[in-house]
Amino acid sequence: MLILEAQNLQKTYRSRRQVFTAVADVSLKLAAGEVLAFLGPNGAGKTTTIKMIAGLILPDSGWVMVAGRNPHQDVRALRAIGAVLEGNRNLYWRLTPIENLEYFGVLRGLSRRVAQQHSRDLIERFELGDKRQTLVQNLSRGMQQKLAIAVALMHDPQLLLLDEPTLGLDVEATESVKRLIREIAAEGRAILLTTHQLDIAEELSNRVAVINQGEIVVEEPTAELIRQFSDSAYLIQLEQPLDTLRASKITALGATVELQQITIRDPEILYSALEILRPLPIVTMGRQQANLTDIFLSFVRKP
Amino acid sequence: MLSLFLAEFKRSFVQLRRYSSELIGGVVGTTIIFYGLFLSTQYIAGPGFQFGTRLDSIIVGYVLWALMLFIMGDIAGGLQQESRTGTLEQLFLSPYSASTVFLLRAIASLILNLTINLGILLLIMALTGSRLAFPPTLLPPLLAVLLGAYGIAFAMGALALTLKQVQQVLSVFQFGLIFLFTVPVESWTGSARFLGWLLPMAPGAGLLRGVMAQGAALDWGILAVALLNGAVYFLAGVALFGWAERRMKRLGKLGGY
Ligand SMILES: Nc1ncnc2c1ncn2[C@@H]1O[C@H](COP(=O)(O)OP(=O)(O)O)[C@@H](O)[C@H]1O
Ligand SMILES: [Mg+2]
Repeated sequence: MLILEAQNLQKTYRSRRQVFTAVADVSLKLAAGEVLAFLGPNGAGKTTTIKMIAGLILPDSGWVMVAGRNPHQDVRALRAIGAVLEGNRNLYWRLTPIENLEYFGVLRGLSRRVAQQHSRDLIERFELGDKRQTLVQNLSRGMQQKLAIAVALMHDPQLLLLDEPTLGLDVEATESVKRLIREIAAEGRAILLTTHQLDIAEELSNRVAVINQGEIVVEEPTAELIRQFSDSAYLIQLEQPLDTLRASKITALGATVELQQITIRDPEILYSALEILRPLPIVTMGRQQANLTDIFLSFVRKP
Repeated sequence: MLSLFLAEFKRSFVQLRRYSSELIGGVVGTTIIFYGLFLSTQYIAGPGFQFGTRLDSIIVGYVLWALMLFIMGDIAGGLQQESRTGTLEQLFLSPYSASTVFLLRAIASLILNLTINLGILLLIMALTGSRLAFPPTLLPPLLAVLLGAYGIAFAMGALALTLKQVQQVLSVFQFGLIFLFTVPVESWTGSARFLGWLLPMAPGAGLLRGVMAQGAALDWGILAVALLNGAVYFLAGVALFGWAERRMKRLGKLGGY
């Protein structure tokens, strides 16, 4: 089931004499249970896009549908959206976790009784039980982030928007936030998370959309994207730089030679190339394992 | 709606109780400033000087002014603080409209604010020996003043939403407000009298001074003017706030970019 659909979103910020297009053209689709990682360098337009989806920033053109409703026109769409926005922790610092959960639950349209029930459940599930009476300002950053996610889930939204959910967290907190995100997706919620940390995207997402300068440059299932890039190339490392005769023969086949390193993009020519190389000593030979970092850089660095 | 009101009440009460030292500081500070003014005026004017009902009028104006500051701090100051801590945008994700949330919030803390300001009033009365009356007829003009106060607070909230930094504007504005609560619009005549009716909160404050300090009966004609004045300022403030919200959604600065 399609939970989120955004079509041709565009946003240009205009301030005194300055005109800046933060989002040029972004379209996204997200189904229940899916995690889409929205990946891009700083200033690429990730936060602006997320806020347009949440109804907090009005797009100049394009539209958003969440659970079949437009959040800019129909407040009922907001019941389907939970959001943890970037930077701050979206919580009242002078209240305890339980007070925050109950307050935001009611704010999001729950009755008091249901809000109390949900906050008890979430406290337990997010392992915040022994901190239930601690003021938020005295919680660790990791705890605050977990609580912020719990708050965003109080009204049981179908879509969860997470803007840089692991930014500034230590390793342990990052792990536990990652585990929670997986669990939440497994419940059948759609999750859109932005990050500039590639490992996070690689581990958590079903699909990756890379955004650069306000435009989506590639959107693929995460595994697919990694495979596409991994499949294509074999890397052969020789002990010595290749002599010119062999180098020209190999280049003629369609491979690339750089001193003692040969890259073969077309698997068909692998054995012909090996024939030419015989009997030179080979140090290593293998398929190039791409990770998201390489892929990301190859898209973002394109002129 | 009732659930939200109760949740807002609990939220402001808990925060107030937890930080009661700030609250006590506010009450004591407000009282001491007035008492200082009182003593220095007495010193300058000499020991034979009698304030009479003038003192009582001034006290009513001063306490109304303090109440206005609390309300403004709640809405405009609260907005600014929430944009800093990041809760502001969450409020705009609520299915209740932002003006509903802020209005319920302000009404919820009104009960607390009224109690606090009654405390200030009683303290000042005890210190200065003033005798004010509390007839039930003070309620309608108080309502008129409150409507105006909320209108102004929402307008300042709109400013806070737009500028994010309103501390300086607020503190200059505060001293402009003291004028509104002390101008004796009730004694103005001719076209000045008409002008006095247009000033925010002034007609209601004038009635309150009459009822509480001079023991006057309520003038129903002026009360109608005061209520109309309050309603107009209230609606204008809320409209301005809605406009600021839409503008910030367009500029992408709702939460403080
Ligand atoms: N309200 C705003 N007014 C003007 N420029 C803005 C505003 N918000 C963001 N920007 C600019 O737009 C660009 C994209 O911002 P953002 O969406 O926050 O990027 P990201 O989240 O990918 O880092 C940045 O260069 C930022 O400086
Ligand atoms: Mg961002």
